[in-house]
Amino acid sequence: MADQATFADDAMQYSKQLYAAAMRMTRNPADAEDLVQETFLKAYRAYDSFTAGTNLKAWLYRILTNTYINKYRKAARRPDEVDLGDVEDLYLYRRVGSEESAEASRTTEDRVLDGLVEADIKKAVESLPENFRIPVLLADLEGMSYQEIADILEIPIGTVMSRLHRGRKAMQKTLWEFASKRGLLPENAERP
Amino acid sequence: MTDNDCVDTGGHNCDEALERLYEYLDEEMDEATADGIRSHLDGCTPCNSGFDFERRLKVVVRQRLSEEVPDGFLTKLRKALDDEAAHRR
Repeated sequence: MADQATFADDAMQYSKQLYAAAMRMTRNPADAEDLVQETFLKAYRAYDSFTAGTNLKAWLYRILTNTYINKYRKAARRPDEVDLGDVEDLYLYRRVGSEESAEASRTTEDRVLDGLVEADIKKAVESLPENFRIPVLLADLEGMSYQEIADILEIPIGTVMSRLHRGRKAMQKTLWEFASKRGLLPENAERP
Repeated sequence: MTDNDCVDTGGHNCDEALERLYEYLDEEMDEATADGIRSHLDGCTPCNSGFDFERRLKVVVRQRLSEEVPDGFLTKLRKALDDEAAHRR
């Protein structure tokens, strides 16, 4: 059992990370602030049910995710589960190279990786349907393990893996469109 | 990318390696399996370069998803918790 008096000291260290995740979930600063604050208040009230010494960060993310789903998904009236079309493996990689030379390909890769700005990456994540976006955020922003993500979202680990797989590939498709618009890609770039 | 492009040294062909790309990059596989993938990558330039790109992309995504917390938010959050505590006393 955790001591409610120490909650702020224990949990505040995660507030910045939770805010970043909340921004990608709600897509705007005011809702992100509300979501994090609501998460902290709920966690504080329930802190005596949290087992001290276990994974506090994962517990906070679970509350954040559930609060988001219950509150904002209803408001947005978006469907529960959206499917993504199948995207080939190495989608972006296959489109940044050329057959000219390994060196030329490497230069294009660097230009694409440097040239995709924060806004591009954020938009690409935000454009994912929620059932893919949340696992991608937990893995790629938070560096959580598949097991942690499975526990937070209460889905089997195999589902986590397939959503990450497909979510990341769908993101690459969006990133390729941004890279293309920014003129970062050579003409007719396509690897064999 | 076909199997003909690479020298298969670790008992993994390209398709098998690609299928486990994210498990490998996320360090979600046992050492023996990871070793198998590593030896495939050592002998297969196309896969090695594809895996390397994905690894670099993953770092870029993580860096560029970071977010500055708005001024005053942390103070506001702390105050909300203090108010809640005072209210409960």
